[in-house]
Amino acid sequence: MLADTSAAGRLAAALRPRPALAALYQQAWSAMEDENAAEAWAGHVLVLLNANAGATCLTTLLRLRAPAAVLAQTAAFTTDICRHAGAAAAVTCLETWDRLRVAGLWPGFVLVAQCAPECVAGLAANAAAVVQAVGGGGFADFAALGLKAAGRDKARRAAFFALNDPLARRALAQGEGSGFAIQERRLKLFGTALWGRIPALRPLPAAEGRPPPRRTSMSDGVVLLPDTYPGVPPAAQAALYRAAVAHALAHLMAGAPRQKIGTLKPLQLALAGVIEDARVEALMLRRFPGLRHLWAPYHVAQPEGGTAPALLARLSRALFDPAYEDNHGFIAKGRALVAAADPFDPEACRRIGGLLGNDLGQARVQFNARTHVVEPAYRDDGLGLWDFGDKAEAPTEMIDLMVEAARVRQEAGDDGRTEQGPPETAARARAVAAPQPDSVLLARYPEWDRTQGIDRPDWTAVRAVPAVMGDIRRLDAALDSVPDLRRRVARLVRAAKPGRPQRLKRQPDGMDLDIDAVLDAEIAREAGEMQGERVYRSTALQTRDLAAVVLVDVSESTRTGGVLDIERVAVTLLAEAMAGLGDPFALMAFASDGRDQVRLTRIKDFAEPFAPPARARLAGLTPGLSTRLGAALRHAGAELAGVRSFRRLVLVLTDGEPSDIDVPDPRDLVEDSRRAVLGLRARGIDAFGVVLGTGGAENAARMFGRSGYVALRRLEDLPARLSDLYFRLSRR
Amino acid sequence: MTDLRAYLIAGEPYYRPVGDEVQVFDAAYKHRLPVMLKGPTGCGKTRFLEYMAWKLQRPLITVAAHEDMTAADLVGRFLLAPGQTVWHDGPLTLAVRGGGICYIDEIVEARQDTTVVIHPLTDARRMLPLEKKNELVPAHADFQLAISYNPGYQSAVKDLKESTKQRFVGIDFFYPSAAIEAEIVARESGVDAATAATLVQIGQRSRHLRGQGLEEGASTRMLIHAGRLTLAGLALSAAAQAAIVLPLTDDADLREALGAAIAACLG
Repeated sequence: MLADTSAAGRLAAALRPRPALAALYQQAWSAMEDENAAEAWAGHVLVLLNANAGATCLTTLLRLRAPAAVLAQTAAFTTDICRHAGAAAAVTCLETWDRLRVAGLWPGFVLVAQCAPECVAGLAANAAAVVQAVGGGGFADFAALGLKAAGRDKARRAAFFALNDPLARRALAQGEGSGFAIQERRLKLFGTALWGRIPALRPLPAAEGRPPPRRTSMSDGVVLLPDTYPGVPPAAQAALYRAAVAHALAHLMAGAPRQKIGTLKPLQLALAGVIEDARVEALMLRRFPGLRHLWAPYHVAQPEGGTAPALLARLSRALFDPAYEDNHGFIAKGRALVAAADPFDPEACRRIGGLLGNDLGQARVQFNARTHVVEPAYRDDGLGLWDFGDKAEAPTEMIDLMVEAARVRQEAGDDGRTEQGPPETAARARAVAAPQPDSVLLARYPEWDRTQGIDRPDWTAVRAVPAVMGDIRRLDAALDSVPDLRRRVARLVRAAKPGRPQRLKRQPDGMDLDIDAVLDAEIAREAGEMQGERVYRSTALQTRDLAAVVLVDVSESTRTGGVLDIERVAVTLLAEAMAGLGDPFALMAFASDGRDQVRLTRIKDFAEPFAPPARARLAGLTPGLSTRLGAALRHAGAELAGVRSFRRLVLVLTDGEPSDIDVPDPRDLVEDSRRAVLGLRARGIDAFGVVLGTGGAENAARMFGRSGYVALRRLEDLPARLSDLYFRLSRR
Repeated sequence: MTDLRAYLIAGEPYYRPVGDEVQVFDAAYKHRLPVMLKGPTGCGKTRFLEYMAWKLQRPLITVAAHEDMTAADLVGRFLLAPGQTVWHDGPLTLAVRGGGICYIDEIVEARQDTTVVIHPLTDARRMLPLEKKNELVPAHADFQLAISYNPGYQSAVKDLKESTKQRFVGIDFFYPSAAIEAEIVARESGVDAATAATLVQIGQRSRHLRGQGLEEGASTRMLIHAGRLTLAGLALSAAAQAAIVLPLTDDADLREALGAAIAACLG
């Protein structure tokens, strides 16, 4: 008999000595329909068998039932995991996949098996929670985030995949991306348009150890919105946020003061909240009838269910939707009481809530304030209505809730977010407490993850480091040693002297006639004189409308060979030129010490003259630390974003080799810098690199583009070339 | 005698007084004091002047100022005719001779050195020197000068000289109150009162966004255009989108937010 050369045949032959497995294989094989896929599957199983996967692993795999193509892929992934992390890990992954049946699991498992084999089991154990929070598509991303965040720190890695790390919890809480960050600007504009004032909208942070907030919270004019609405598809989030903001505005525009709780019970408070919501919405609808279309889809209560949450939702709908029919006596009474009340009386809700609450109390309807979630979803939690100051009288349950809410608010209110952050949502600046006393957090920026191909939000922290005043005399002496250069730069400045658009009269050519010149020429001709030919008018564009940020790399590598000293002279010459031209510019030095310490030293601001203090700061620069160029570029872009100029330019002086202590592969930072440059370009900001030495030329081309950099072989050329370059760039 | 009859306004232009602007202009005209109309675009400055010209039965000569405007464009110049040069009065000189109202629209658009030619006209001298012609034109007894400008455009470069500013009587224009604006929109576009009120509501939403990405909110003129579009059969939301949102901004976020705010105003 000829040997069967197909994978299935070879697998059958290989399994012959192991009857238990062979039987399972036969069953699996006969369950498959697509023969080609089955053959592929058999091939993968054979590889797995040859990888000494062990009986448990093979048994688990052979027992799975799914379309052959899916099983073939599963077998391939299992082989991969088995090779890197061992058979036990592969079995766990198989079982997890079988339980959840989410295709997105495999890339994440394989990634972790390759990079952190000891964590596979931990990740598999929590896979359900992760998938629930971030979806199947986000699973691999979550795994990559953990690997990247922990670096070589095994303990942190284990904690991350066990979901004990704060970053992991935050990633899960944010779910499939922060809806609020994406919507923030639109919501603010929407609110401003309706209200005429800019509403204070803030993200509501998740409190430690509690489920992420699911409803808006209002506190003294500040509207705190959940970072995301769990379970709401991304496409529907925009409308929900808008509905929530419109509802919050209804409260703000009705402008009721906080009311004392007095002796109201939690259920009465919840009912009063529903009444007040209905009151302010009715007032709002008088002005903005179109909001009914925005709110209506969330009122889905049906006239059924007698629990407190159901009755509250039914009452909400009954008060909102006149067409809604509900014959429950409680609902009818609520409608009647509200209809009889004065819509401009904010205290009516207390009275009506109290009455309705008594009714439900007598009917022994149970209410748990702790687990109660306000419905419909766009409404706020109602705690902003009440003054909890009089704690002695308030129910303890409510005090607990209030204390928690207040704590959350404190965190939200005190985070001191910088308002001048860049407008793009990905680079939203978010400030947190500075770990070092001498540095002030300016902003957080995303960083490009080369291996995963995504932006890691808020990955780097740019901090302002106070400048050290140096000796101006030394700098001046260095400048005096290059008098020719100074004169040349001054000449260039004079030649490019800015002015208004000049109308040139009596030109030899131009767009139209200079009527006065024509007349003169004609009169001259009539008089028999020499006539001029310069009878045209034209305009010359001699405006300068350019703003620049000069970024100076002061990392450790600039210490060797006096690079920094020459940078200083070159920058001083350039700054004098820019000041002479009247171009607004800022000078900054950057170095980094890990992603949380991108240190930025401000030498000169846009508004500041290039005067002795700025020169002293320039003279005081000292080399040290590493080069995280991307973050510095993003920050320069953010600073430039606020400057109104036709052309905006970021000029970087660097050795062209980005690096940092927490980044093992320098290519990561090269790619990130490239992304940063592209990002700037997309916002109309040109980035140009001046690269010292030839070593970094290749990286520079990658980061700034072929025509976006110059490499200076001889360091001594820098002062002359830098100013020349600026004039060239500013003409472009 | 210069004949300006062609510049007379035939029928009464619709103008709805908002404050005391008619009285102020009347008083200023009585003493021939030059008048400056300030206010955002599309709030009725030009219409007001047309109305006043009609009311006073004076010809109205309008000049739209622009950056390349020279003094000769205002005053006049020699032009060539066969074998000779002929002086041709500019619009300002025309009004000065014929006793019309000369209205220089958006005067800050012109360069400051151009606008100084009006100085001798706007003080006790009331005369216009034509330097090239060596002629001194005394202003006609009925001559009146009016200028307009939009303070919103003001920047360091584009502002009136102090010596120019101080020659004028100012009248401030702004969007009228909601009720009056609705009346104007209804009258000018022909829509019913309820639609006009909604359009004014929409206009106010956009005006709230001034400085939040919009240079200027929707003008009364824009609202009238939107009203006319609805009369032509467009739905109100589509008309607002076409006549208000799209012309106002190219910013996607702003468009969406404004669109949502407009939707909130529509029943």
